Amino acid sequence: MKKIINSILFTCVALSLFGQLDKGDILIKNGTVITITNGVLEETDVLIQNGKITRIGKNLRTPSGTKEVDATGMHVMPGIIDAHSHIAIDAVNEATNPVTAEVFTGDAINPLDISIYRALAGGVTSSHAMHGSANAIGGQCETIKHHYGSYNPEDLRMVGAPRTIKFALGENPMRVHGEGRGIQPRTRMGVEQVFRKAFSEAKVYMKAWEKYNNEKNTNPKASAPEYSYRLQTLADILTGDVIIHCHSYRADEILMLMNVCKDFGIKRLCFQHVNEGFKVAPELAEFGATASVFADWWAYKFEVYYSTAYNASILTRNGVVTSINSDSGELIRHLYHEAGKTQRYGDLSDNEALSLITINPAKQLGVEDRIGSLEVGKDGDVAIFKGHPLSVYAIPQMTIVDGIVRFDINMDPADVRMDVNPEEDLPAFFLEVKEYDNCMQGVHHQHLFFHRH
Amino acid sequence: MKKHPTLFGLICLLVIPSFLWAQTNNDELRPVTRTYALTQANIVTEPGKMIEGATIVIKDGLISAIGKNVKIPIDAQVLKADSMYIYAGFIEGLSHTGIPKAEAQSGRGGRGGGPQAPQVKDPGSPPNDLAGITPEKNLAASLKPSDKSIADMRKLGFTAANVVPNGQMLPGQGALVLLHGDNADKMILKDQTAFFSQLVGARRMYPATVIAVIAKWRELYRQAELAQAHEKAYKKSPGGMSRPSYDPVLQAFYPVINKEQSVFMKASDIKSAYRALSLQKEFDLPMVIAELKQGWHVADELSKRDIPVLLSMDLPEDKKGKGGKKGGKKGDAKKEEAKKEDPFKAEREALEKRKMKALKEHWTQAGNMEKAGVIFGFSTLDVKSKDVKANLRKMIENGLSEDAALAALTTTPAKMLGVSDMLGTVAAGKIANLVVTDQPYFEEKSNVRYVFVEGNKFEFEAKKPAKKSDHNAKVVVAGKWTYSFEAMGQNMDGILELVDNDGDISGSITNTAMGNKSTIETAELNGNELSFSIKIDGGGQTVMIEYNLVIEGDNMEGTVSAGQFGTFDLEGERIGTPNK
Amino acid sequence: MKFTIKILAFLMLGLSTLSTYGQQVSKPVRGTFALTNATIETITNGSVQGTLVIENGNISAIGPNVAIPPDAKVVDCSGLFVYPGLIDGGTQLGLVEVSSVSLTADANEIGDIKPEMQALTAVNPNATAIPVTRVEGVTTTLVAPVGGTIPGTASLINLVGYTPDQMFAGFKGVVVNYPSAGRRGRRDRRTDEERKKQEEKQLKKLNDLWDNLSLYHKLDSAAKAGSGEDLDYNPKMEALLPVIRGEMPILLEVNQASAIESAIKWVGEKKVKAIFTGVAEGWRVADKIAAANIPVVTGPVFSMPTRTSDRYDTPYANAGKMHKAGVKVAIRSNDTENVRNLPYNAGFAAAYGMGKEAALKAVTIVPAEIFGVADRLGSLEKGKSATLFVTDGDPFETKTHVKHLFIDGWNVPLDSRHIRLYNEFLERSPGLEK
Repeated sequence: MKKIINSILFTCVALSLFGQLDKGDILIKNGTVITITNGVLEETDVLIQNGKITRIGKNLRTPSGTKEVDATGMHVMPGIIDAHSHIAIDAVNEATNPVTAEVFTGDAINPLDISIYRALAGGVTSSHAMHGSANAIGGQCETIKHHYGSYNPEDLRMVGAPRTIKFALGENPMRVHGEGRGIQPRTRMGVEQVFRKAFSEAKVYMKAWEKYNNEKNTNPKASAPEYSYRLQTLADILTGDVIIHCHSYRADEILMLMNVCKDFGIKRLCFQHVNEGFKVAPELAEFGATASVFADWWAYKFEVYYSTAYNASILTRNGVVTSINSDSGELIRHLYHEAGKTQRYGDLSDNEALSLITINPAKQLGVEDRIGSLEVGKDGDVAIFKGHPLSVYAIPQMTIVDGIVRFDINMDPADVRMDVNPEEDLPAFFLEVKEYDNCMQGVHHQHLFFHRH
Repeated sequence: MKKHPTLFGLICLLVIPSFLWAQTNNDELRPVTRTYALTQANIVTEPGKMIEGATIVIKDGLISAIGKNVKIPIDAQVLKADSMYIYAGFIEGLSHTGIPKAEAQSGRGGRGGGPQAPQVKDPGSPPNDLAGITPEKNLAASLKPSDKSIADMRKLGFTAANVVPNGQMLPGQGALVLLHGDNADKMILKDQTAFFSQLVGARRMYPATVIAVIAKWRELYRQAELAQAHEKAYKKSPGGMSRPSYDPVLQAFYPVINKEQSVFMKASDIKSAYRALSLQKEFDLPMVIAELKQGWHVADELSKRDIPVLLSMDLPEDKKGKGGKKGGKKGDAKKEEAKKEDPFKAEREALEKRKMKALKEHWTQAGNMEKAGVIFGFSTLDVKSKDVKANLRKMIENGLSEDAALAALTTTPAKMLGVSDMLGTVAAGKIANLVVTDQPYFEEKSNVRYVFVEGNKFEFEAKKPAKKSDHNAKVVVAGKWTYSFEAMGQNMDGILELVDNDGDISGSITNTAMGNKSTIETAELNGNELSFSIKIDGGGQTVMIEYNLVIEGDNMEGTVSAGQFGTFDLEGERIGTPNK
Repeated sequence: MKFTIKILAFLMLGLSTLSTYGQQVSKPVRGTFALTNATIETITNGSVQGTLVIENGNISAIGPNVAIPPDAKVVDCSGLFVYPGLIDGGTQLGLVEVSSVSLTADANEIGDIKPEMQALTAVNPNATAIPVTRVEGVTTTLVAPVGGTIPGTASLINLVGYTPDQMFAGFKGVVVNYPSAGRRGRRDRRTDEERKKQEEKQLKKLNDLWDNLSLYHKLDSAAKAGSGEDLDYNPKMEALLPVIRGEMPILLEVNQASAIESAIKWVGEKKVKAIFTGVAEGWRVADKIAAANIPVVTGPVFSMPTRTSDRYDTPYANAGKMHKAGVKVAIRSNDTENVRNLPYNAGFAAAYGMGKEAALKAVTIVPAEIFGVADRLGSLEKGKSATLFVTDGDPFETKTHVKHLFIDGWNVPLDSRHIRLYNEFLERSPGLEK
C-alpha cells in the first residue's frame, strides 16, 4: 500500500539534479587516528579515494595522483556532526500553524551561508539543518554536508540520509500559538492533543487512500481522496519513513511524547535539547529514544531552569545514545570543545566524549553507516587537529568532506564570502548578540514576549 | 489661513483619482490617418539583417509593405526617415507595466512601505486570495491603461509587454499587452500567456516562508493532477461517480500540467534560481525563469536543459564610481588622513576588488548567457525605466552582442510567448509595432523618434541639451507661466505669476490639484537663473518647496525640490504678459 | 494582563524554589587552612612547590617550608595546583535569574541615562547560578547593568556571602555604552543611515550630559565649599560625580573599530578614567588603544566575527592581538548563567595567540589591577585575600576538576544545583519500576 501511495507522491529525497559532485582522493599520513569505533591508532594513514575511505593502516602507498597530507603529530578524527543547527537555510520557522509537517528546510538550503565555512573551521562536516520550534509539528529537516564553495544547494544535501522532521514541545509552541494567537496549544496538555489529532487524521487519510488504491483498478467510479501533503507526511512518520527530532525540555513532556509514539507505533525518536532528559534517562533508554543536548545551556527560560550540565553524562551512563549539538552558528564552531565539557561534568572518557559529536549524532540522523567514524567504506569526512580535539588548546587544521579539502588553516583566504553585494563597499559591522532560542528564528516579534536584555 | 495638505499627502491623493485627468484628454487631436509611410530608412528587419534606404508602409495597424520600391498609398502620411533606423517594437518578456504602483507594493518587498498585512482569523489556513494564491486571476482587472509606466516604457521603444499581476506566490495569469490604448481588454493581444509564480510568502499567514511556498506548490500541483483526472473521468461518464468539486485554483494548473502553458517563475538571485530549477525538475514543468540577476552560475545548466530565461534589466551600479567619495561614509570620518597609515589598506583593496568583480559578474551576465547558448529575453519587473537603455549599453559593453541584445528584445520574447507570427520582426503582414531611432538604438546618443503600436504613431523629440544657466544673460521673468512636473508618477501643474519690480521679484504660484495659491518667497534672479521657494503647511508641519529654474525666452525649465519627498524636473511656458 | 499574571506565577514559583534552594547548598566555613604539597601558581611570583596557609580570610604564608599553624586544617594537595580565583570582568550574574521571565531579570532598567542604578542593589546572593559558577573556579565577577547609553553602576563581587555588602569586592564603575553605528544583533533592522543618525544623536546626548556634569561639579564644589547654593536632588549627577572627580572609572562599552578610535579621542577630551569593554574590533586598532594607555576588558571570546569578510578566528585571536600590541587586556564572559565558561574563553584566547601565561593573567591579576583591587585579589601573595581554588590540572582544560575552593577565606563546599541533580539522577532510584 505504501508503495502505491508513494507512486503518486513526491519524495523529498534529493534529486541529484545536476550530476554528481566531485569526490576527492587524499592520503592523510602518519596521524594519531581516532577512529571512534575501533580505538586510537598511532602513526597511521587514512586513504580516501573517490570520496570514500578505502584503507586505514601504517605506511600506505600513495596512489599516483593522490594528494598527500602530512598529519605527523596531529590528531585525525571523523568529521564532526551537528545534530541540531539552523545554518545554511533561508527559512527556519513556518510559524503560521501548529502543524506544518509538509514544509521542508531542504527546499531553502543556502549554500552561500558563511556559517558553513566557520563550522568547517571547527571540524564540522555535516549538520542537521532543522526547522524551528514554533510549531508542535514543525517541518521536515535536511541533513547536509558542508560543501562550502558550491553554489548548488543540491551539492549540500546528504543524498540517501533518512527523512527527519522537527517536533516541538513546551513553551515555544505554547507561546506562538496559544499566547500569540489564542489557539491551541496553550498548555502542555494541548500540545499532546495536537499530536494525537494529527496522527489520528493521518491514519484516516492512509485508510482512505488504501481503499482508493485497492479499488481503483476494478471500480472505474472510484475517485481519489483529496491529496494532502501534510497528512501524507504524517503518514510517512507512522510508516517509519521519517525520524522525529523533538525539541523538548521538561521530563513530563518528554514522557508524554514517548507515550504518544507508543500509541501510534512510532519508534524512531530523537529528543532535541532535552534538558531534563537526565530525569527520565531510564525511560528514554527503554524506549530506545536518543537525546541531542547542549553541553551547558540552561536558565535562559523557565523550562530549562532545573537543568544540569551533567545531562549528557547521566544520559550516556544510562545507555541513551546522546549527542552534543550547537543550535547556534557560534557554538557549531567549537563543538569539540562543547563535547569536552562532559569530561568536567561527568567524567566521560575521551572516546565517549568524542562519540557525542561523531557516531552518536550519526545514529540519530540514521547515517551511522556512512559517517561518524573512521572506517573503511565510510565517507571521507575527516577533521585534523593540532592537539587533542578535547583540549581547550586544540586548533583545527584541516577539514575534509567527501575527500575534498574544504578548510585548510594554512590556506585560509580570510574573506571567504561566496556572495558579495556589489553595491556595498565594506561588509557591515555586525556585533552578534548571544541569542538563545535560535529555534525561534523567523518568528514574528509579537510572539516573542521576552527580550534578553 | 487655510491649511494645505503636505506634498506627500497631496501626492497620495493624486494617485487615486487619476481618472479625473483622463477626462481632460477629450479634446486631444485625433490622428488624421492611420496609414503611414516611412521612407529612406535603415530597416533592421530582424537581428543581424538590415535593408538600407527602404520604405515601410503601415496600414490598419499592420505592416503592409517593406522595400526599396514600394508604392506609397494615397492616404499615407509620409514621414521622412532618412538615415533613421527602424526596428521591430520591443517586447518586455515579463513586466508589471500598466499595473499601478500602489498595487505593486502589496508584495513583500518594500519594508514598511506596503499596506498592513490583512488580519485573518486562522493564519494557518487563510483564504487563497489573502494567501497570495490566485493563479486563476486574469490580468485585465489589474491593468490600468492610463498608468504612466506604459508611456514610460513605450518611450524607450517597448510596444508590447507580457504583463503579470502583482502579488505573492501565485499572483495570476499573464497577458501580452500592447502598450497603447484606453481599454484594458482591447489592449490585450493574447491572454493566458504566463502562469506567474514567485517564491514569495504571504504576510504572517500560511504560506509565509519559502519552504511553505514550495510545499504548497507541490500540494496544489498534485491536487490539480488528481482533480483533472477526476474531471475527465466524470465528463466521460458521470453516472455513479462523485461530483468533482469546482476549484478555479486547481483548474488554473491544468494548462501547466498539460504543458500548454509555461510557469514564469521570478527567481532573481542564485538561490532562487536553483530552487526554481529544482521545482522544474521535480514536475518536469514547462518553465521560464524570470528576472534573473545572478544566473551565471547556472548558465550551462540552463543551456543544457533548454530552459529559457528572462534576464533582469536591473543592474547594480558602481556607487563609488558614481557618487565620488560616497562609498566612504562607513563612519570612518576623517578617513583621508588615516588612509596613509591604514594598516588595513590591503584588506580594503581586496574588498574593493571583490566588489568590482561582483559588479562585473552582474554586468557580464547577459554576454555570458549568450556565450553559453541560453535562450534569453528581458524582464522589467525591477528596473526603473530611466535605467533601461544605460543598462542595455552596459551589458553590451560587457560582452553582449548587439544582435543578441536585439533578439532578446524582439524575436526571443515573441517566440517565448508564441506570437512570432504577429510580433518580433519587421515583416509585411505583422502587427505594426515599430521603434524608429535617429541613430542605431544601442548608440549612446541615439534618440527614439517614433514608436508605433499597432500602427498608432507616437512621436518624440530628439533630446535637446539642457538649458544652460548664464549669469550674464538678461531675461524677462515677469508674466504668467504655466508649469508642470511629474512627482511620483503623477503630473502636477498650475500657474506661476511673476512680477518684476526693478529686480525685486515677487509673485504667486497655484497648483491645480491643491486648488490653492502660495506666495513665493526669497525669489532671486541671477542672469537667467531664477530661484524661489514656497512654504506649504500641512497639519502643523511646514514643508519648504524650492524651485530652481533657467529661463530662455518664453520657456523655463529646472527643478523643484520638496525636501525628503524628492526633486523633480519642471518645465514651463509663458502664456501671458504681466499686468503692470 | 493575563500575561502579567502568568509571569507573576512563574516568578513566585521561581522564588519559592530559590529560597528553599539557598538553604540546600551546604554552608561555607571560615578558619585556618594549610594547603600542603601543592604546586602554587602565584601568577605574580611564578610557581611555588609547597604550602599555602590561610588565616583570618587572608593568605598568611606561601612557600616550600612554611610553618603550619597548629589549629590549621591540613588539606593535602599532592599532585594538585593552586590558582588565584578567576575574575570575570563583565557579567550579569546574580542580576538575572531566568532571562525569558522578565520579572526575574534585573539588569536593564527603563531609561537611557541612569548611572544611579546600582547593580549591587539587585544582586541576588541566592541566585542559583552563583554556586554553579564558583565551583568551576570563578570566584569574582563584575556585575554590570545593561541597556541604554548609561545602564548604571557596576560592582565587583565575590561569589560568597548572604548580603550584597558581604559580597562586594571593592570596585564600582559607571557603565557607558559608547554610541556606535554598528548593528545590534540580527533583529536590528535599522538602515545604515538610521544607525548613523542615531549614533550622532547619542553622541551629542552624551556630550551634553558631560557639559551638564561639569557645571554640576563646579556648582557642587562651590556649594560644598560653602560659597554657593545647595543644589536640587539630582541622582544622575550625584552618581556621576565620582567619575568627573576622577575617583571612579567608566566602563566604556565599545566594539566597532571606528567607534573605538572615536572613544579614545572622547576619553582624552573629557579626561575621564576609562576602561574599554567589549572591544570586539580591538585588533584593528590595537596600537591606538595601547598608545592611549586605556585598559581593556574584552569578550566573550566565543563570539562571531563582526564582519562577514573577517577571518573565522578573529574573535578568538582578538585578545592576543591586543596583548601583543601592548594593551592591558582582561577577558570577560559577558554571560549570566554560564559565567563558568570564563576559563574556556581564556583557553581559546591562549590557543589563538595570547599564550597560556597572558591568558591566565587576563582572568586574574590583570582584571584585579584594572579594577584597582590587586592588593586583595588576582594573585597568590602573602597578605592578600584567600580567594583561590585547587585543581587537578590546567584550569582552562575541560578535563580538569576543581578540588577545593576558598573565597575571601571561606572554604566553599563544591556544591551546586547542577551537581546535586547529577548526584540524584546518575542512578535514579526508583529506576523504571514503580
